[in-house]
Amino acid sequence: MQLRYAVRGAIWVVLYLLFILAPLFALLAGSIPPTRDFWTEFSVAMGYAGLAIMGLQFGLTARFRYVTDPWGEDVIYHFHRQISLIAVGLVVAHPLILFVVRPELLALLNSIQAPWRARFAAVSIYSLIALVVMALWRTKLNINYELWHLTHIVLAVVAVAAGLLHMIGWGFYLDDPWKRSLWIGLTVFWIGLLLYVRIVKPLFMLRRPYHVSEVRKERGDTVTLVMQPDGHAGFRFRPGQFGWLTLWGSPFKITGHPFSFSSSAEAVDGRVEMTIRNLGDFTSAVDKVPAGQRVYIDGPYGAFTIGNPADMHVLIAGGVGITPMTSMIRTLADRGDPRPVILLYGSKDWESITFREELETLKARLNLTVVHVLADPPPGWTGERGFITAEVFKRHLPPPYADHEYFICGPNVMMDAIEAALGQMKVPMSKYHSERYSFV
Amino acid sequence: MRRLFADRLVLATGVIVILLSILFALSRVGVS
Repeated sequence: MQLRYAVRGAIWVVLYLLFILAPLFALLAGSIPPTRDFWTEFSVAMGYAGLAIMGLQFGLTARFRYVTDPWGEDVIYHFHRQISLIAVGLVVAHPLILFVVRPELLALLNSIQAPWRARFAAVSIYSLIALVVMALWRTKLNINYELWHLTHIVLAVVAVAAGLLHMIGWGFYLDDPWKRSLWIGLTVFWIGLLLYVRIVKPLFMLRRPYHVSEVRKERGDTVTLVMQPDGHAGFRFRPGQFGWLTLWGSPFKITGHPFSFSSSAEAVDGRVEMTIRNLGDFTSAVDKVPAGQRVYIDGPYGAFTIGNPADMHVLIAGGVGITPMTSMIRTLADRGDPRPVILLYGSKDWESITFREELETLKARLNLTVVHVLADPPPGWTGERGFITAEVFKRHLPPPYADHEYFICGPNVMMDAIEAALGQMKVPMSKYHSERYSFV
Repeated sequence: MRRLFADRLVLATGVIVILLSILFALSRVGVS
């Protein structure tokens, strides 16, 4: 499976680069406009490539399982975020270089007197900068998730559409009708990807609703929603995967949030469970969801899942990172898997350990070892205390390290420490998997 | 680690795009 994913991943990388560069070099085919100086042509090439990268951002977040499976959704979103900086750099460099080599173009900054083609360029660049600033510092700017998401979509469409109108308005390379059609077609395709996520997928979800059959309070200010498919068979997921849950309103609303499934993947009736911790935002209202409420789930997604050859599974969870691990443990128990499972589980204190009792129960059905690591242990506690560090991790892990399969989900600090430790222990990258649960 | 790979991919994409933008410009200057 891993080799197949590696090949698919490589194919997608090549296609991604082709989608950026082929439309640029297509400008050199057919009738070519008069040559200008090197810097002008260089800046124009960067502008076109920057717009293509921006357009492909719609594809990265279009939730195509076939594309995202080799990487995992969190990595795709990470790439989406990082590559946006490259796109901004390219798009901003385009006018800056032009201003240096042709200072007379500085007059175009006066938006009142500038022609429309220059105004579109300004709108595109300002939208892009606003979009990236809001995405990178949403939390610091204290912007509500739903408002940010809506603004993000609007700014992205405006940035791409205005960029295209700027190119067409300038007309230098797009005078040829087929080249103009190519770039217009590409833009329509990019925005079509957005419409696919926001209209086609919700339409599909509308026909496949779920209802909340049980709301179960768990330890650690956490709630489990048990959801049953209404009038359809549901979907099968692999343990560790997640879905986008729309809890209130129709699937067309921009209110879907990603949550890991916590139930066993062996459930045959299509039932899925999501365990959600109260983080003070919209999650604080999850415990007020009434039984019977209609909800929508878009899934499953994610590459954070068991299924590769391993002599044992090592699960490292911090806080609500226990959710996908619970799905794995329940599934392995349901499958009667004889291989050992070690769970290193970091929690605030003894009382807030989500699934504490169930994990003890599961030991009867599975070769499961649970190591609790408490930040605030009770008096007389003899177990691990503090946080899950590389030292704690190594203390409980039997060799040979490279034969185990590792899953890590929790706070970034913990994940960075464990990933670094695995690297030092010569565990190959293919043997460990990590999921950042705050990827959007 | 997959994120590290993604970071390298981002960097590689940026470098490739800039190099090919230079190639684009050079081919244009050469055309004259």
